[in-house]
This record gives sequence, structure tokens and C-alpha cells, in this order.
Amino acid sequence: MKNLRLIVRRLLSGLGVLWGAATLTFLAVNLSAGDPAMAILGGPGAMPSAELIAKVRAEYGLDQPLIVQYGQYLGRLAQGDLGDSYNLRKPVGQVIASKLGATAQLSLSAAALAVLLAVVVAVLSANRAPWIRSLVSGTELVVSSAPSFVIGLILLLVFAFGWHLLPPSGSNGWRALILPSVALALPVAAVLSQVLRQSLEDILEQPFIAMARARGMSETGVRLKHALRHALVPLVTLAGFVFASLLGGAVVIELLFSRQGIGRLMLDAAVSKDVPLLLGITLLAAAIYVVVNFLVDLINHWVDPRAKAV
Amino acid sequence: MTLTTKLARLAAVACVMVLGACKPASEAPRANVTGAGSASHAEDYRETSPGKPGGTLRVSTASDSTTLDVHSISHGNTQWLGRILFDCLVYQDENGNISPWLAKSWDISPDGKTYTFHLRDDVTYSDGEKFNARAVQLNLEHMRDPATKSPLAAAYIAPYVDGRIVDEYTFEAHLREPYSPFLDVLAQSYLSMLSPRQIEHAPKSIAEHPIGTGPFVLESYTRDQGLNFVKRTGYHWAPAVTRHQGEAYLDRLEVSIVPEAMIRFSALESDQSDFTVDAPAQNARAIRNNPDLQMYSRVRKGNPFRSLTFNVEKFPFEDVVVRRAVAKAIDSEGLAWITGFGEYQPKTDLLASNTRYYDPAFKDALRYDVAEANRLLDRAGWTGRDAQGYRVKDGKRLAARVLTYETGAYPSSVAVAIQADLKKVGFDLSIDLIPLAQLTEQRYTGNFQLLGGGYWHTNTADGLYILYHSHSINTPTFIGQNIGSFRDEPLDAALTAARLTTDPVELQKLYSIAQQRLVENVPAVPLYESHVLVAFRNKVKGLMFDTSHNTPIFTAVWLDPEAK
Repeated sequence: MKNLRLIVRRLLSGLGVLWGAATLTFLAVNLSAGDPAMAILGGPGAMPSAELIAKVRAEYGLDQPLIVQYGQYLGRLAQGDLGDSYNLRKPVGQVIASKLGATAQLSLSAAALAVLLAVVVAVLSANRAPWIRSLVSGTELVVSSAPSFVIGLILLLVFAFGWHLLPPSGSNGWRALILPSVALALPVAAVLSQVLRQSLEDILEQPFIAMARARGMSETGVRLKHALRHALVPLVTLAGFVFASLLGGAVVIELLFSRQGIGRLMLDAAVSKDVPLLLGITLLAAAIYVVVNFLVDLINHWVDPRAKAV
Repeated sequence: MTLTTKLARLAAVACVMVLGACKPASEAPRANVTGAGSASHAEDYRETSPGKPGGTLRVSTASDSTTLDVHSISHGNTQWLGRILFDCLVYQDENGNISPWLAKSWDISPDGKTYTFHLRDDVTYSDGEKFNARAVQLNLEHMRDPATKSPLAAAYIAPYVDGRIVDEYTFEAHLREPYSPFLDVLAQSYLSMLSPRQIEHAPKSIAEHPIGTGPFVLESYTRDQGLNFVKRTGYHWAPAVTRHQGEAYLDRLEVSIVPEAMIRFSALESDQSDFTVDAPAQNARAIRNNPDLQMYSRVRKGNPFRSLTFNVEKFPFEDVVVRRAVAKAIDSEGLAWITGFGEYQPKTDLLASNTRYYDPAFKDALRYDVAEANRLLDRAGWTGRDAQGYRVKDGKRLAARVLTYETGAYPSSVAVAIQADLKKVGFDLSIDLIPLAQLTEQRYTGNFQLLGGGYWHTNTADGLYILYHSHSINTPTFIGQNIGSFRDEPLDAALTAARLTTDPVELQKLYSIAQQRLVENVPAVPLYESHVLVAFRNKVKGLMFDTSHNTPIFTAVWLDPEAK
């Protein structure tokens, strides 16, 4: 019963977040200058007739006052209709769905890779000699602050064009996924491993670790079997950060590696003032964010029952 | 190539990205442009020797055109993509003469208002449908149908009233008024002949699954990813002047969309791609120095790139002397270097030099000359100087604001260089870098003093009408491209008369007058020609260029297994 109320409350606040995201984006896009009707008709090189412009305005409801457009937008949204993309002249839902797979592939493999890398590096480097620690954390600092564009370019030059090991571009096949996933994962992995090492080092000071050691357990066994499980808790709460980095990074990585996906779609939509498409992608991002945070709370609740869900 | 040199190149690219451009001081600007200028190389426009069939060509391009309904967009990729999938009614030869394509011949009525096209009777679409007079009529209707939302094709055929199917292979087009560029624009890829069945029954399907009569058939199209084409067997109706009318040599054509310039170059260099239709200017030196690669810098017909367009209704550009002084104070050669790295041809007049009826007589009128610019400004009364060294007249500073947006063709480094050039003659230029959507709006409301960049590519000198005739000024009921509200009666008279005649001697006279009026009245500052940069590996043979757009045609391209 208590759990049900919790879930209902979370659902309502999730809807609130979505409504807020839809409203803010709607306002931001509409308040920035630029006539969407001209954007629909091809930008500065276009010579559309006045009748055509009027027709487009009417067709997309652009001749209505902003508040009416907003009401209509929310009304359609409630029915699950995201409208038609200005540029692609296709339903936004359909456009996003066609690109979602590629981005999901990229970000999920990058997320898995980032967690794996972070765990390996943190487990191997926690409580080691000072010079190892400073070498590792120095590297982490450089990697986490380097733009993913530069990391991606270096990877491309070495592995794709230098040694011809992997394809430089495209969305087809797992081989084309490796370089972009690594480029997207590295900065995230560097941040995660910093956090994880700190948490591991705290845990390794705990009495129950000393107990395990006293029982004659190997150092690796202690780290993997006992310390790691506890140390992972703070990582779970970073899931929101990971998600945001992956989506933001996807814009750059998809462009650099000539991949199709949501990131590139978002960039094109922003540049060409494709309002329905931008709104659709923002809503998608907000929805994923809400779900991720909801899951994080659930997991936290489950791994650490002391954490009171609020 | 070793890794260290690659990393060094990366550093050089980063330098370009950060600084806009690093112009080597020791080096004088040089032009690598081939095939530009009024001299035409016939071998670039036709097949000179037969090739070998077979193979797949891997092509890269910088951007996706968003739709393959060529009537509904103005995207530059249409220029070469259209030639892969579709054919046009007529073709322009390299001298600008109209020659047959899907139309065998045509007659123009003495009043210039009726065009009768006699069509080929052996042309079919890839789905088996016949090409005939009805197909032409449906295509012209589709171009101007408001549902197509055509930004370009519809404007090009604006004088078209209606058409009559005389018999299956004869079509009569009726125009509202004489319009001599009609045949020229019909030769452009934007006015290709799409499938009548699709136009009638499923116009929306043209965007992603177009059916054409062209030398290749679309196999698949993934937006932002690429397009695959296969050879159309039985194709035999390419323009006769190209000397290759039959099937394409290539079995397949795979186009990948690669937005990063660095990646297009590296893929070409490492043999992971054979051809790029968007060769990066910053890699031009490396491409030309690489014995495995070829590079061509081609010029589009029509209007060249402008560095600035004046709003002649706004201070201080109501005064033609100020406009001329600004034009002469800008070092277009230096600007061509910082964007084109030697590949762009600087321009000092307002019609592309390979356009038919181009007159080279006026190309020195706006040449870079700081001393002359200063003299002109003195003469216009801008003799005072303020504390910062800018010119002053009646207590007002000689100043203006330029609106521009960041684009590869007109990077902000160009605006900054112009600012520095103008400061030398005491002109205070401020730069307003704004998003494209915002710029488009300001541009159409005329709410600006100066606009940065811009070009209009078309295959006829009538591009001057589109940009500078007073009928092309925006009105509440008409969107025109004469955004600076430029008006000149002798220019209007010449450009109007040119639309009424098809006599080449008369046209040459009229367009010469027009070009003279333009350099004398300076509605805009020319910058460099509008360039097409392509690069490819040595194994690619038989490339020819389309004479309307100067973009590649792949029908006669073949792969030489002997070449590296």
C-alpha cells in the first residue's frame, strides 16, 4: 500500500517534469526569432510565393496566437500526437523511432563499457602505491576533461586511418560501433572510476574487510567479493549524470563518426528551427530522465533499505 | 603515412577550427582552379574514350538533402543526386546552348509564349511506366502545387500558365509572358522529370522512394547515413552531347553522408572511400600533393559568392560612393585564401565567369584598392576623424552592422577580416553573428544595413534578374531575392528585355549593359566564385561534369583496376 502510493506519487511528479519540459522548450523555441514558415520552405535561398507562405502558416497553425498554439500543442500531446516535422514532413514519432535504435545501441554499449572500465580501473588502483594512484587519477582527469570530439578524432586517426583496424564511419554492424562507443564511454568512465575508487578506498577501511582479510581471503577476492558490491552504491546515483553525458555526447560523436541517431537529429532540428521535432526529442529525453531516476530510487531502496524514499 | 604526421595534421586541423584560418605569411595566394574562367575544356563535359563496366564506387558527401523529391527543395546536393536518378527535358552544353535530352526538339512561337516539346518515345521509368507528354504536364503541375512546398522549381517556372497534350509525345507549354530562361532552368536538376504515377497516387513517397528515368535506380536510402544505387539496365537516353548515351559503367554507387571534413579526407586518403563531392578546402594541399589522389575545383554558373550585400535604403549605403569605397577596401584575394586555401577564385564582378554572356570588361572596376577607397570616402564628405580614427561627417561616425551566421562557405573569420580591412579606411564595421532562422527573418523584413555571404546558383545570366531587378524586391505579397532593395532603371530595362528575346547577339548586348550597371552601382560586394570541390582516387576514370551545375555526373565513370 505504501509502495503503491509511492509509485503513484512518482508517476505524477514524472508527468509534471514532462509538462515542464514541454512548456519550457515550447517557449524557448517560439521566443527565439525566426519564422518557422520560412524554415519549412527552405531558408534563405527560397523564393516561395506569398500564397504558399500563408498556406503553410495556416496548415501548421502558425497564424494562431502563441497561447492558442500552446493549447493545441498540449491537446495533441495528450492524445500522443507529436505533430509533423517541418523539415522531414513526416510524423515526429515516426522520425524519432527510426533513429532511436541507433542511439540506444551506441549509448547502451557506451554505458556498459564505461561501467566496466571504471570498475576495472578502480579495483586495480584503489589503495595502491602513491605513484600509481597519481598516474591513474591524472589520466582520468585528462580524459574526463578532454572534449569527446578530440578523443574521437584521435581514435579515428589511430585505429581507422592509421592501422585500418576498424571502420571510420557508418551505423552498420558491431565493428562500426566500437570506436564511437569507446569515444563516448571514455570521459564517463574516467569520472565514474574516480568516484568508485574513492568509495572503494573508504570501504576497504571498514572492519568487515579486515575480518575478511583475517580469514585469509586473497586481496583480489576481498576487493571483488566484498568491497565492490558496497562501493557500487554511489555509482547508481550517478546514473542521471551518465545518461546526460551520453545523450549530450551523442550529438558530437554521431556527427564525427557519420552515424545516424537522435543526437544528430536534435542538432539538425535546432539549426533549422524544426519546432515539433525539437519538442519531441526534448520530451523523449525528459521521459528517459524521469524513468532513469525512478529506477535509481528503486534500486537504491533495494540495495540499501536504510535509504528512505521521499 | 605514419601516425606522427597524422597527429601533426590533426593539430593543423585544430588550428583551423580554432582560429578560423592560419594563413601562412610567407606564401602568396595562388589559385589552383582548373576549368574555371570562361575557357571551357571540352573533355571535362563528355566521354573521350570508352571505359570498363563493373564495380562499386564509394562516394562521400557532407550532408543529407532530407528528401529526394527534387522539386520540393533547394539543397545543393540535388545538383548531382538529380543526375543519378532522373533526367531532364533538355540539357545545357558547355557553351550554354540548349541541347536535346528527353525532348528531341522544340519550337518556340514567335511571341515567345508557347513552347512545343517533341519528346523521345523510347524512354521508360524504372517501374516500367512510359515517359510521355502527360508525364511532363504532371511534373510541371507537381512543381507548382502548393502541397509540394517548392522553394525553387516553382519560382523558376512562375510564368508557366498551363500545358496541352498535343499527342502522346508532343507537349505544349503556355507561358504568361515571354521568358527566355525557360529552357535553361528546365535543364537544371531541380526540374527533373519524376514518376507521373508517384506524383498522381503517392506524392509523399517520392521523398524516400523516388522512381526516375535516370542511369541509376535507388536501392536504399537511410537518412543521415547514405544512399545506395544500382545501374539501370537498358538505359540509353543520356544527353547526346555527353557522348555517352548508354548504361552506366558502374554496377553500384554507394553514397555515405559524412559531415566531418577531416573524416571525408582521411577516408579518401586511406582508400576507404573513392570519391568525395565535398572535398575540404583545408585539405586541398594534402590532396594535390598525394600522388594517389586527384582534385578539381569547379565554378558554378550564375551569381558568385558575395561578401556583403548592401541595404541601399539604410544609412550609409544610400550613397553609391560609400558602397563603391567599401567594395574597393575589401581584399577579396586575401579572403579567398583564408576560406579556400588557394582553391577559390577571387571575384570582382557580379556574374560567374563561366556563365553564358559573361563580359570580362568590368572585372577591374571593383578591384581592391585602398588608396582609391580612401579617395572615394573623402569625396563623399567623410573627411573628419574621431578619437578612434573612424571617419566622421556632420558629427556622425561612418559605421554599419553586418548580419551573418556561421557556415562553412562564409565562416566568421571572413567577417572579421572584412572588419579589419574596413577599419583601414576608417569604416567602423560591427559583426552580428546570429542563428540562421533569425537571419532569414531579418533578411525578409529588410531590417539590416549589411548582410554577410550569400549566393544564388542558377545556370543562366537571368540570375541577375533574380537578385537585382526591382521586381525581385520583397513586397507584402511577394518573396524576392533582391533583399537590399536595389533599384536601377537601366539595369531593370536590360534584364527585362533579356527575358523577352532569344537572340544571342541581343542577349550579349543586354547582359553586358546589366553587368556594367552592377559594377557601377554596387548592390553587393563580390567575394569569390561559387566553387564545387571534388576529389577522388586515381582509379576513378571517365568523370565528367554537368554543364548546368558543374557538379559530377557518374554515368560514364568507371574504375580502373590497374591504377592504385
